Amino acid sequence: MTVLERLTQMFPDAEHGTALDGKAFVYVSPANLPAACRRVREELGFARFVDLTCADHLEREDRFDVHVLLYSMTEHLWLRIKTRTSGTLPTLTGLLAAADWYERELWDLFGIAFEGHPDLQRLLTPDDWAFHPLRRDEPLGSMPVDFTVTRELYDT
Amino acid sequence: MSPYSNAPAKSVAATVSPTLKINMGPQHPATHGVLRLELELDRETVIRCRPVIGYLHTGIEKTCESKTYVQALTLTDRLDYLNPLGNNLAFCLAVEALFQCEIPERAQIGRVLLAELTRLQSHLVCVGSGGMDLGVTSLFLYALRAREQILDLFESLTGQRMMTSFIRPGGLATDMPEEWLERTYAVLEGMPAQLDDLESMATDNPFFKQRTQGIGIVSAHDLMELAVTGPLLRAAGVAHDLRVTNPYSGYERFDVKVCTATDGDCYSRYKVRVAEMRHSIELCKQAIERMPGGPVKTSDRKIMPPPKEELAQSMESLIHHFKLWTEGMKPPKGEAYVGVESPRGELGFYIVSDGSGKPQRVRERAPSFAAVQAMSKMMEGASIADAVAIIASVDPIMGEVDR
Repeated sequence: MTVLERLTQMFPDAEHGTALDGKAFVYVSPANLPAACRRVREELGFARFVDLTCADHLEREDRFDVHVLLYSMTEHLWLRIKTRTSGTLPTLTGLLAAADWYERELWDLFGIAFEGHPDLQRLLTPDDWAFHPLRRDEPLGSMPVDFTVTRELYDT
Repeated sequence: MSPYSNAPAKSVAATVSPTLKINMGPQHPATHGVLRLELELDRETVIRCRPVIGYLHTGIEKTCESKTYVQALTLTDRLDYLNPLGNNLAFCLAVEALFQCEIPERAQIGRVLLAELTRLQSHLVCVGSGGMDLGVTSLFLYALRAREQILDLFESLTGQRMMTSFIRPGGLATDMPEEWLERTYAVLEGMPAQLDDLESMATDNPFFKQRTQGIGIVSAHDLMELAVTGPLLRAAGVAHDLRVTNPYSGYERFDVKVCTATDGDCYSRYKVRVAEMRHSIELCKQAIERMPGGPVKTSDRKIMPPPKEELAQSMESLIHHFKLWTEGMKPPKGEAYVGVESPRGELGFYIVSDGSGKPQRVRERAPSFAAVQAMSKMMEGASIADAVAIIASVDPIMGEVDR
């Protein structure tokens, strides 16, 4: 049985398919994300956490396509558990120790809040940064820099 | 009582504060870049370690979204700057997965050759700088001398020593001249002797062993839970290497050996890296010996422009060439992730295409990111002096941690 068939059996009503890279995926509801990860890890053997990341589809209401990439050490295959959210997800840290920084990164760069995360702080940008730079509506342009010292020195 | 009496430090420490918090980095010679560690110490012992990252965040993933695929490729060199060709390869494989295109055999074997040369020079820096951190300064000099020869090879082939951008979507930027292959082979012939020199300074050096053996041990299970891959995982006894389990770009034609060790300490990581270097030399030689003839660029016109000769003959070719270089290649709508074995573990690019000439999302799954996160686990219970050895054995590249 292929991975996709087993995934369909496990989540019969869920939207599923195979991406262009040949990796199977299944969409679950945001609330079910931790439970789905647990089941796939324990029952299908896709135990190694590889990645947790997100793509922003601005045109949609629940704009963020968040996915967990898991790898099976016995079958040597990857699969994705995906979910759509408008900005809040339950944390995976209780289940996957590695998800800690990955969730902080998503909070930092996309503004996705992971409820129940032990320490949801910014990771890559400065702590007092006001924006979530990887959002598609975040402009690429420069930030104004306040040259306070220069202003004081040269009275400009 | 004399003020100089050797009063036990214990009572002093207990009355003042039970622990001491110190900051290591972000500017520290041992952190190899801008990594900051907040260490909580009980005398010399690290109780807690909290890595703080982000000092090198340059927004490369965001920048890629406003570039065409070929332009974005040049930014991937700058992620893991010790593995530029490996990053190029991972990015190109992801783009090619979107297009589902075939790559000529010469380009595939050439990619293996370049990726293994890059692995060799990356491990040389890791072993050399790691030796320098532990006081074996000559190791650094010998390692960089050996690496210099490989960088010279890159320079003569690509014009750049480090930021090569030589592996392009659809193949290689140019063909590899026969003289270059011969020269590379000659350099590789001399490499094992230089590795012997390196090893003679470290492998059986009692001081080096004392500084690395039994240090920074994390169980294989914990490493897996923390998503750590690459030499760190293999040093803990897990024979996992994507070149073997999920061969890409022609690795299936090579007999890749997975180098493992059992102890999971800093010394095992060093041993695994040295073994991998020796094996990389073999793989490079095999690649040169097996190098087939033929083109190095795909004939898929969705990715590659028509050859120059056609432009003077055919109006359609000229238009196609112009559109491809002004608007960029346009992969079908969808997403792709391809994982490759970088010198530091599973490196993968996740690309989402909306069908336009620019990617909607480019994400790098960086092996160092997971390794730096796992550092707090490795540091627990180590002494402050061992922190240096542990950082060196993890070999974090902040360019890809912070992206």
